[in-house]
Amino acid sequence: MNIFNNAALLIGVPLLFAFSIPLFGLISKELAKWVTLLTIGFNATFSLYILLAHKYPAIVVMGNWLPPFGENLYIGPVAALLVSVISVIGLLIAIYNLWAIKRGDVIRFSILFLMFTAGASGMVLTGDIFNLFIFMEITGISSYALAAFGPERRALGGSFKFLVVSSIGSTLYLMGVTLIYTQLGTLNIAEIAARINQTTPALLTFAGILIISGLAVEAELFPFNGWVPDTYTGAINGVSASLSGIAAVSAVYALFRIAMTVFGRSGGAYVTTYGKIDFMTVIAILATATVVIGELSALSQKNVKKMLAYSSMAQMGLIAVGLSIGNELGVYGGIFQLINHSIAKSMLFLIVGILVAAGVGENIDDFKGLWNRNPFLALTFSVGAFSMLGFPLFGGFWSKFAIVAASVQRGGWYDFVIGLVLFASVVEAFYYLRIVAYMFMSDTKQAKIKTPLIPAIPIFILAVSIVAIGVLPQLVGTFSAQAAGEFTHKMSGYVLNVIPTIVAH
Amino acid sequence: MMEVFLQNWIYLIGAISLFGIGLYITLTDENIFKIIVGLNIIESGTNLFMIAIAWHPKAVMPIYTATNHLVVNGKVVSADPLPQSLVLTAIVIGLGTTALALTIGVKIFEKYGTLDVRKIKEAKR
Repeated sequence: MNIFNNAALLIGVPLLFAFSIPLFGLISKELAKWVTLLTIGFNATFSLYILLAHKYPAIVVMGNWLPPFGENLYIGPVAALLVSVISVIGLLIAIYNLWAIKRGDVIRFSILFLMFTAGASGMVLTGDIFNLFIFMEITGISSYALAAFGPERRALGGSFKFLVVSSIGSTLYLMGVTLIYTQLGTLNIAEIAARINQTTPALLTFAGILIISGLAVEAELFPFNGWVPDTYTGAINGVSASLSGIAAVSAVYALFRIAMTVFGRSGGAYVTTYGKIDFMTVIAILATATVVIGELSALSQKNVKKMLAYSSMAQMGLIAVGLSIGNELGVYGGIFQLINHSIAKSMLFLIVGILVAAGVGENIDDFKGLWNRNPFLALTFSVGAFSMLGFPLFGGFWSKFAIVAASVQRGGWYDFVIGLVLFASVVEAFYYLRIVAYMFMSDTKQAKIKTPLIPAIPIFILAVSIVAIGVLPQLVGTFSAQAAGEFTHKMSGYVLNVIPTIVAH
Repeated sequence: MMEVFLQNWIYLIGAISLFGIGLYITLTDENIFKIIVGLNIIESGTNLFMIAIAWHPKAVMPIYTATNHLVVNGKVVSADPLPQSLVLTAIVIGLGTTALALTIGVKIFEKYGTLDVRKIKEAKR
């Protein structure tokens, strides 16, 4: 058990600066934006330092109360990797926001954006099942407010829908946590994970259903994802990018931390679950339905943002399919796909943001001839689209390949699952290639579009990293392999690193 | 017999029913403010549920004094203080959510001129 208390700064610094933004705002609104950028920059640097200098596995102990008594944070391979992803994507979106948030209330936007990043990092880092709820609500409330931001009135409807569905979800989660607390008298994830066998099976099943349906709302799994299209379409593009690039990462993490570490049982090569229902099976069924429904709905959309929203839903389903396979290869593929998706989808939303600001519409037809109007945006959009559909030499290829390989390895009814997923991938390939074809094949007489410099920086970095991951998959692959080890080996990967003396029951 | 049953279960049953009533209102009502009220009822149900599981009919308050013994014959007789502190947090979070929801509701009324969910859906953009 290593103790590395400085890691609490990853949550503390953004929260501190979030609430001191109004003071900086008194001086100048530009300063408030730069403070946001620097704060998230600190988070990105520090989390990359933790990841690359291999400071994990370590725990953060609050007030010298060792777990299971105090509240603790746990930095394992998964948390170190995902917190780096969250803060690096957050940093790039903050650079984009320097340009995008010109009008309106810059100060309130900056406060909310910092709170959002802090909450998402907290969800990934925390080692306490109730603190997970609190961080979920911090992320949630700030993202409802962010989603309502902007001049368009459709943002309000999407935000309200998100608020209602997501608060019901978190209330269900809280009920489930309470039921587990009545059985075991603890809220520490490691202790619950070690002693989960002592609970009454019926009550555990009920608690599991409540918790999984609560977490599935933010992880965008069917049938809890009705909010996705409206919210993503209504929100301004920087917010849609951060919803799909940041919030989705922490939501998937929370779902599978509960399903695999808390409820999981690593028997042989696969993780299965306790209780009367095998939750991994339930998640796999929901995730497959999400993929098929998401891709088919995306196909029929004429609005690019709505199409990206449905595609985001389908990708979350694919990630959940990968993780629910339960062997190391599947979890490796799922985490890798999560990172690829968050890079590519946030890039696509940022590109749409530039185009909308330049007066190009949001419909597919408006993308016709984009190659002639602005080659940079057309190229980067195609890079993102190719990564999404898993074209070789782009990031998404390796993760999709790993998920398919893992399903074949697992066999049984996963053959059916992967068949449906591959069918949906064909649909996905069709609608992404349709846009790419529109951009390159059509001729247009319309005027050229200038690329503004500041938002081009994050888009360029994201596009380069997609190609870099595609050529050298070990850049992310080594870390996701370690993460897969943590998820699939419940005791040695997680519990014993937090409480070394505990005995599994 | 009935009395014991009521003592042990009435709060849990009440909490779950509140949850159900709130869920019904939220899912079926078309007025935005009624939906927010439904959300609040759900939250109250959950909070009551958490308090109820920490309590039993003969529990004493969880504060140690000269006359208030928390442990009698090796058994803990006090109510569990932890869920109560969790409920405090949950109430604050519920307050924040409600305030934000009401703000968005007011904004929706300003921009669409109605609070009926169906009419908002019909109005394009």
